[in-house]
Amino acid sequence: MSVKYIPVQWNPNKWVYDAIMVVAVALFLWIFIFIAPDVLNHNRAINPQIRNARAFGACAFFMLTIILMIGPLARLDTRFLPLLYNRRHFGVMAFFIALTHAFFVLDWYFSFTPINTYEALLSSNTSVTRLRGFPFEWLGLFALLVMGVMALTSHDFWLKFLTPRVWKALHFLVYPAYAALVGHVALGVLQDAQSPVMIASFGAAAGVVVLLHVAVALKERGGGGDAAAEAGEPGWEQVCQADDVREGFGHIGILASGERVAVFRQDGKLSAISNACAHQNGPLGEGRIIDCLVTCPWHGFQYDVTTGRSPAPFTEKVPTYDLKLVDGAVFVRSEANPPGTYVEPVPA
Amino acid sequence: MTLAALLVQLAGIWVWIGVAVAVVFLTIGVGRIDEDARGAYVFRPLVAPGVILIWPIVLWRWWLLETGRDAWPLRHRPQRRFHGRAWMVMAVAVPLIFIAAMLARQSQSDLTAPVLLSPPQEVSE
Ligand code: FES
Repeated sequence: MSVKYIPVQWNPNKWVYDAIMVVAVALFLWIFIFIAPDVLNHNRAINPQIRNARAFGACAFFMLTIILMIGPLARLDTRFLPLLYNRRHFGVMAFFIALTHAFFVLDWYFSFTPINTYEALLSSNTSVTRLRGFPFEWLGLFALLVMGVMALTSHDFWLKFLTPRVWKALHFLVYPAYAALVGHVALGVLQDAQSPVMIASFGAAAGVVVLLHVAVALKERGGGGDAAAEAGEPGWEQVCQADDVREGFGHIGILASGERVAVFRQDGKLSAISNACAHQNGPLGEGRIIDCLVTCPWHGFQYDVTTGRSPAPFTEKVPTYDLKLVDGAVFVRSEANPPGTYVEPVPA
Repeated sequence: MTLAALLVQLAGIWVWIGVAVAVVFLTIGVGRIDEDARGAYVFRPLVAPGVILIWPIVLWRWWLLETGRDAWPLRHRPQRRFHGRAWMVMAVAVPLIFIAAMLARQSQSDLTAPVLLSPPQEVSE
């Protein structure tokens, strides 16, 4: 959470996360470069420059693959949530690995041209109308650019400044980028690779990513909360029964506008806040009340359930909803209160 | 000028404008629109590359915040549906790209066997 911005937020958990990640990356590169050349069986003998480029490229591809798997895994099974917690460092690292790959490539294939290196990269192959021999470098360049935008806008400052909505819209670019990356690999190195291990592992990785996301999309179709019903007074909607809300936990209701409300019970009283965390719009209603504060399941931002405010010195706020009980049914006002507005909890 | 040269030149211009925007935004702007940035300086160089990359978006957001046009409810309204739809497209696109690329592969045996060329004979008179 932010108080004053600092360059990188680390804590013991993140140190462990990052350490495991760095070791895994080093291991991958070491195996690829020194142990496996024969196993991977590059069709024609390749020189160290090309091998390095391929090692870093493969590493970046598999890192992005894992990054894209974390989201759906965490949706399917909460035991994967810890992976989500520090995914940003994972993404930044993947970008730098991909950048290293790009420099190895430029330094070898494009460094002996009489024209500008980047110009050579863009002009050496322009046969976009053919599949065989397609300029796969462009696909890689696009993916690299997107990974760069994401890595360089990963600081919490960006979330607050751009708003989670715009920030996430930018991050959606990672989907076309991944498709481009699959094309980059398949139309590039795999055209040449004779080893079935290479082809199978790239194909399987991309396949798993797609399957996981489709599984989540099917699971969540319309789900993730109960649709509210407009009843009684206009401007109020019924979101659930008071009994649905367990002490210390939340219950998510979907309003007619599509907005989600998280109803919490604390000390036997009910309060309603927006379900979207101020950080990255994580689902607050799936979080728990810890030390009297609603705790976001994604990265642990906390809010007072009566005001929607993070405890001082933090400054995050989420909107609150007026709430009332009618015969054991929980009603909230359809219009949210401005973030940070106090609402008296209702005994139930 | 070739298209490639033009693109490289445009990228250069983009970066220089970005640098200018970054300098102004990170010295004057950021403290005006974000209370958490006041008195915090070390993080600023770290976000500078991001400003350089997406400076038009930075200018647009800065303007919204400065003029009080930022609509707060939007902040709390994620576009949830987009993921599902995007992956339905991806579920078709990614396998299609991969399979098409694999079908385009040439088998080594189809290729004409390489011939070692000998240097042209010197013509002796
Ligand atoms: S989304 Fe990051 S803490 Fe809630």
